[in-house]
This record gives sequence, C-alpha cells and structure tokens, in this order.
Amino acid sequence: MLKRYPTLYYISSRAVWYFITFLAAVTINFLLPRLGPANPVDIIMARSASGLDTKTAMEKEEAYLKGFGLVELNKDGSIVRDASGKPVQSPLIKQFFNYVKMCLKGDLGTSFLNYPKKVTEIIAGAIPWTLALQIPTIILGWIFGNILGALAAYKRGVFDGVIFPSALLANSVPFFAFGMLLVYIFALQFNLFPAIGGYAQDLMPAFSWEFLSSAAYYYVLPFFSIFLILAGGQATGMRSMCIYELGTDYIKYAKWLGMKEHKIVFYMFRNAMLPQLTGLALSIGTMVGGALITEMIFSYPGLGMSMLTAIQGNDYPLIQGITLLITVSVLIANFSVDILIGFLDPRVKAGIGSK
Amino acid sequence: MNIKDYFRPKTLLAGALLCGLISCKSDNSNTTKGEVSFPRNKTLYMAGFQWGEPNTFNPLCDWPAFPVGGNYNLMYEPLMNFNSLNGQMEPLIAKSYQQNDAVISVILDSRAKWSDGTPLSAADVVFTYEIGKKYPAAPTAYVWTYISAVTADTVTDSTSESGKAERVSFTINKERNNPLAVLDHFQAVRIIPKHYIQKQLDNLNGDLTAFQKEKLDKDPVVSGPYTLHSYSGEKIVLKRRDDYWGKVLYQDRLPKPQFIIHPIYKANDHFSIALQQGNLDISSTFIPRIWQKEKQGVRTWYSKEPYFVPAAMTMLFVNVTKAPLNDRNFRRAMAHAINYADVKELAFSQYSPNLEPGLILPFGTEKQYYSEEDVKKYGAKHDLELAKKILKDAGYKSVFNANGELEHMLDPKGQKVPTLSIKSPAGWTDWEAMVQIAVKGMREAGIDIREGFVDASIYFNSLPTADWDLILHAPSVNATPSQPWSRFESVLSSRNWKPVGEKMNENQGRFNNPNDKNYNPKVDSLLKVIPNLSDEQKKLEAYRALNVIFMQEQPTIPIVYRPEQFYEFSIKNWDNFPNENNSYTPPQIPCFGVGIKALWEINSTAK
Repeated sequence: MLKRYPTLYYISSRAVWYFITFLAAVTINFLLPRLGPANPVDIIMARSASGLDTKTAMEKEEAYLKGFGLVELNKDGSIVRDASGKPVQSPLIKQFFNYVKMCLKGDLGTSFLNYPKKVTEIIAGAIPWTLALQIPTIILGWIFGNILGALAAYKRGVFDGVIFPSALLANSVPFFAFGMLLVYIFALQFNLFPAIGGYAQDLMPAFSWEFLSSAAYYYVLPFFSIFLILAGGQATGMRSMCIYELGTDYIKYAKWLGMKEHKIVFYMFRNAMLPQLTGLALSIGTMVGGALITEMIFSYPGLGMSMLTAIQGNDYPLIQGITLLITVSVLIANFSVDILIGFLDPRVKAGIGSK
Repeated sequence: MNIKDYFRPKTLLAGALLCGLISCKSDNSNTTKGEVSFPRNKTLYMAGFQWGEPNTFNPLCDWPAFPVGGNYNLMYEPLMNFNSLNGQMEPLIAKSYQQNDAVISVILDSRAKWSDGTPLSAADVVFTYEIGKKYPAAPTAYVWTYISAVTADTVTDSTSESGKAERVSFTINKERNNPLAVLDHFQAVRIIPKHYIQKQLDNLNGDLTAFQKEKLDKDPVVSGPYTLHSYSGEKIVLKRRDDYWGKVLYQDRLPKPQFIIHPIYKANDHFSIALQQGNLDISSTFIPRIWQKEKQGVRTWYSKEPYFVPAAMTMLFVNVTKAPLNDRNFRRAMAHAINYADVKELAFSQYSPNLEPGLILPFGTEKQYYSEEDVKKYGAKHDLELAKKILKDAGYKSVFNANGELEHMLDPKGQKVPTLSIKSPAGWTDWEAMVQIAVKGMREAGIDIREGFVDASIYFNSLPTADWDLILHAPSVNATPSQPWSRFESVLSSRNWKPVGEKMNENQGRFNNPNDKNYNPKVDSLLKVIPNLSDEQKKLEAYRALNVIFMQEQPTIPIVYRPEQFYEFSIKNWDNFPNENNSYTPPQIPCFGVGIKALWEINSTAK
C-alpha cells in the first residue's frame, strides 16, 4: 500500500535498515573491546599493585571487579566464588543486557580509568570542542573543495592547471605532517599563532569576550590544518565527477538547445554532487578519529584523546559511550543524505516505485 | 558564470553555525569560579603529573587528579618528608619520630590546622590509617601489612605552647617486622580531615564505594599551602592559602606563587615547546637532548651529563622458570652482551652515569653500601667475547649463516633453543631503543632473541604473571627511606611466591622458588633482617651479601640508571630553582616531598 507513496516508502524502508544497522553497531561496540586479552582491572591493578603484598592486591582487585560490575554478586552483595575461591566473572550476555538497560535510561555508565567520572560528563566536556573544530572545517572544506573542483572542471585552462595540482598536493599530504608544518612555520618560526592549546593558558573557559577572542585566535592553525587538506580532497573528486558529467549526452543536448550557461552548470553540479554528498556523510564518522591527530598536534581540547586512552586502557564504558555517539551521528548523517539524495535524484525513488 | 551564487545561503549558514558553535563551547566548561586571569608574575606553571581529564580530587580514591595522591604536598600533607640528599626525615605535621623494636611514634606539631580552622590532631592521623584497615579498597590499605595498631596519647612537650603534645604510636607488625616500611608510610600517606570525611561517610552508611564517587572539588578541607581553585579538561588551577598553618615553619613566610597552574598537554613535544617559549616553568617529562634547549632558558639539576640525578634502575627481568633462562651462565652471558654505553647514549640521551653492575647505586645515600671490590669480582660488564666464551663453556652453540647473521642456537643437548623475546610497551620510544640495543648485543653474542613490542595494556597485564621470556621494567622508582632495600625486595623476594600464571607484584621473573630444592633461604632471610639492622657495619655486610648473590645469579639485568623523576625548569619567568650548585632541596619538583621548600625560595622575574 505504501508503494503508492514512493517517498514515504523510500523513507520508511531506509529507516528500518538504519535501525537494524544501529542494533548491529551497538552490539559490535559492546563486544569488540571485550574480545581482546586485556581486562581493564588488570590494567588498573598494574598501576596500583606495585608495593602491595599479594593478599592486599587481591582484595583490591576484587573491590574493582565488584565496583565495575564485572563479577557475579550474591544477594548480600558479596562476590560469588568458584570452587577454587576465584570470583566468577559476569557472563557477557548479562553485561550486555545491563548495558542496554542503562543506555535506555540515558546512563552511559562510569568510566573505569577516570573513575568516578561519568561517561556522559567526559563526553559533554569535550564534545563541544570537537564539534566546533570539525563541523565547520568539514562543511567549509566540502563547500570550497566542491566549488573549486567544479570551477576547475568547467573553466579548464590556467585555472585548472593551478587548482588541480595544488589540490592533489594538499590531498596527499598526511594530516599530522601538515599540522606540524603549520606549527613549525607559523608558531615556532614566526610566532604569529600559538602552538599549544585551545585558549590562552591564563584563562578559564567563560562566556566573556576575553575568552572567546582567545579561543578564536587559537582556532586558526587547527582549522587550517584540516580545512586545506579536506578541500583538496573534495576538489579532486569533484573535478573528475564534473568532467565526467560534462561529457554526457544530456549536457551536450542542453548545449545544443542553447540553454543558458548557469542552467547547464546547475544540472551538471546537481548530478556531480551526489557522490560527494555521501562522502560528506561518511566524513562525520571520521570526525572524532580525525580530531585525535589535531588534538595531539595542538594539545587541542576534544574527544579524540579520551577515546585513545579509553581504548588503550580497555575502559569499556567510555569506549562504548564514544562509539555509540559516533555510530548515531554517522547513521543520522547518512540517513539525512539518503533522504536528500532521494529528493535530488528522482531515479532513486523511481527505482523503488517500479519494483 | 556564477556558481558561487548557488551556495551563498549555505555559506552564510555555515558561517552562522561556526559562530554558534564557538559560542556554545563555553557552556560546557567546568569553571567553578568567576575569576579568569592569573598574572604571570604570581603564577607558576608546572606540568607532567596529570595526563588526562582530571577525574576526582577525593583523597580516598586510588588515582585522584594532581595534586591529590602521589607525593605532592600542596593540598594534603604527610606526617614527615624524606630528604634524599642526606637520608633524613624532616618534620611537617609531625615534629619528630622515635623508634624502638616494637613501636615507632611521632610527636605532632600542635600548630597544624585544617583550612576550616579545625586543629589537625592525632584523631585525624589515626582515622587516616584506620580507614585502610576497615576498607581493603582504600588507598591506605597497604600500610596494614606492616603495622598492627595505631594509637594516640598525650605527652609533655616543652617546645609547644601548652607544654603538651599529641603522640601517635605505630605498632610494627611482627609478622613482617619492617620498620623501614613504616617510615616509608610517614612520607607517603597523606593525612585526611576526620571531621569532614567521617561525617560524609556516616551519611552514606559507611559505604566507601559511594563516598569514592564524591569528587571533593568544591572548597575541600585541606592542610597544605594550596587549595583547588578551578579545573577543566585543559588545566588544574591551585590557589595559595594565605592562612596556611605551616608558614610557622618558614619564618612566617608564604610560598611565592599565588597560583599554580598545571596545564594538561596531549603530546610529549608540547612540554619542550612550552618550556622553551617560557609558557611552562617546570616540567616532569622525558625531553631528549635537553642541552640543545639551554639557550631558551631550559635548565636541569646538573648543567652537564647526566643532567638528572639517578635514583633507580631500568632493568630486564628474566623469567628464570624457562630453559635456557633458568641457567645462570646463560643469564650472565646476556648481561655481558649488552652495550650499556650505547643504551645510555642512544636510548637515554646520556641521562645516566655509567652503569655499574649490581643493585646498589654507587653514589648518593646508597654509596655507603656499595663495594667496588665485590662489583669488580662478581659484576658482569659489557664484554662480548666473554659472553661468547661463557656460552661456549656452558655448551651452547650458535649457528651463523654466510652473512654472519645468527640463524639459531643449540643448547648443550643439541636441541634448538626457541627464539626468545623481550617484552616492552610499543610506542615508549626510549624503552624501544633500549630493547633494540640489548637485542643487538645479545644476537652478536649468539643468543637468538628478538624485540617483542606489545600494546601497553598487554604489557601491564602480563608483567605480574610472567608470560614472557624477558621484560623491561623499572621497579621501585621513588627515593624513599627504605632504599636500597625496596629495590632488592622488588627484585629478589620470594616471600609472596606465586607460580607463573598467577600474579606476583615483585620478583616477577620468579627467582628463588621456595618450593624448589635449590631454594636459597639466605636471600629472603637477609631481606627480612636488613630493615631491623641498626648497626651500620652489619647492614653493610648484609647488603654486600645480597648484592653478591644478585650479581652471581643475575635474576634481572639492570641496563641504565634513571632519575626518580624528570625535573626540567625554565628560568624565563622564575629563578632560584634548586640545582647542583644551589641544592637547598633534593632534585624533586617543587611540590613533591621535601622539594616543596623551593616554592618559598624561587623569585619571579616576569615583567
């Protein structure tokens, strides 16, 4: 019956698929960190056990296992033990249901390594920085890259001769190398911009002109370290797409019809942009990971470093919290792009309607 | 042609988004107070103690953020401080200590006060220790291995105003009978306010786990010269307490910096960059080639090699339960094969004097127990030919290919020895280089061994269980009153014996199995006796005997000396830091143990 409304059918079928993907992703996020050989309590104990005798160390370890909910408990709160007196580990499936139950309540748990800090607290403190750095760079880089790519393809000549090689160059430089180069030239050699941090070291975050202007000043180098490389990548992609579109029959036909130039460019742009849109949605997924490198080069505040240390220390709740966030944002971005493409490209909907 | 027209609205939108996001940053900050500016001439920047987000400032948590926990004397204070320059205990909350066979007691300074004005009394000291007895999960639980009771009483004291003073007595646990460890606790355990914490614990029905969730980051009750001002993911700010009781110990003077800021950097280079730019005054990180930064005002304790004061050793622990590592000739051959000069020069930036064999440092307060004669007679120095000879004499045969590269090794029975490996955390570049140099030397000597770099979490996981052949590890790093005993204990003791696969927190290579027919009871009995020896001659003999056993058996292979902590400072904004020519404190960061005295002596040079 929905088939009579192709748009609605398209959206709802996408939504179902995305929900299934979401469930699979949550399960994998839960399982992956637990499949490795190292256990978070072992890692914490390695730090706290030196100098303890074996009995004290064991008592401490059990207190941790209990605190993190990794062992089975009796009704009186004591630890269930096997025949040899060792604590019985909670089965994965039980941990999983606990995790889902807490997630539904909006509680992502307490970080093991940053005990007793809540995962939501850690994410809330860092995510504004990651978003403020990554969203504008990704979107602006995408827009500028696509415009330059389209221009290069359409104008050719000298314009292309300059843009294309420089875009290729920008795209092939690794993030970290470019960032370090910027630091070396603009911060260490010429002292134009600060090398370290997200705002002046004698300030605390506050809603004041002093803080905001300082944050803007510290924003410049990290911004360009990502922006230029991203724009380069987009430009090369867009240029090839446009060249392909320019050679297609519909463009030739439109030219023969004597249509206005900007109308033709609009058609070309609309079609060439479709794959670029998907690329944009995917780049949301690399946001946190990409932020890590920027964070390390500039000691910039953000979520990347928290994720790295969480993974190194098997901090299950924090890994889960951050990956959940990434999963959700990638899925939402992809879903929106899917819908957008459905509108931009009638073929997509038509394909479903005619099945 | 005007493609840009199509995007004008979106560009505007993106611009608006950018502005919006920048402004929303501030909404999620952890600012606790309105003050935002810290004048440079009143602020000391130090870094290297706090690496991630500050988690909590609760002293009853295991790993609280700087400066709670650790040996920092800024917010909470210990009974006494240990001065590693002269090996003496110095007064703080306790004025002095007295020791007999069964009991060590301290006399408290009656002037000590908490920040809320409550006197710091014997009840607080007893409470701090008793918490560890009541809750095995409390950070002070470990002290009860060495003491069996803590009691308080009042004694006459002519030096105090009232003529009386409180005394706290620690009964030594006879089972371990180790007064050195009890002295260690005096400088390691920070006293917490009973009146403030007991009340909160009572409200939680005595549930420590629930109390550990409290962050104590708002106006904490402290006794030290600084208190928490504010913090965020990027820095921790401490403010001087102008009513600090301890100024009486400094002719009524306060420490110079009004603020101490600990910035939290995410990469190693940033400590070095910030020091050179004068944005950081003190750093406690490994910075290679420090001499190249001298022009930028970066200084260390010594102005020449080794730049830092060595206080511990980085060693290769050997799993002596495995063949051929159970053969002490094999272990000695390994020790002879390593080029220690290369380790020091190429892996450790010359930050170590030349390594002498054995477990006793040939300088500092340990020098009195060092015997050059023993070291000459028993110690294994770098000597490749001798390594080869020892292996040959013991019956090992190495097979080299036509290019002179080692193919494999045969044991005395003619069996192929499986390739050995040295476990070490991947990405710790200085450690990686040490392992590579050790491997190179051993392979030249004909030992089939390779690097085994693993993720740090796996490294920590496997260290206590001995599922390795060799592992790089720096045991017992802190300069404490119990050195060098604690170093021997952490390398040789089999008193907490556990088989391979279970966890052992010292002697991880499983040397001297007490259930084995070759068990040498002398080792454990010497380890037990030394802490009780007061006769220096007997102590020297005991240490010599232990060191000789160590050198003969070579259960671990020390490869380089390392400082207790790295301590670099910049003289761009503050001067008069302690150094070799101005050693008014030991080479410690000015907030760590006795090192805190430096906060009273440094002078601002900032404009």
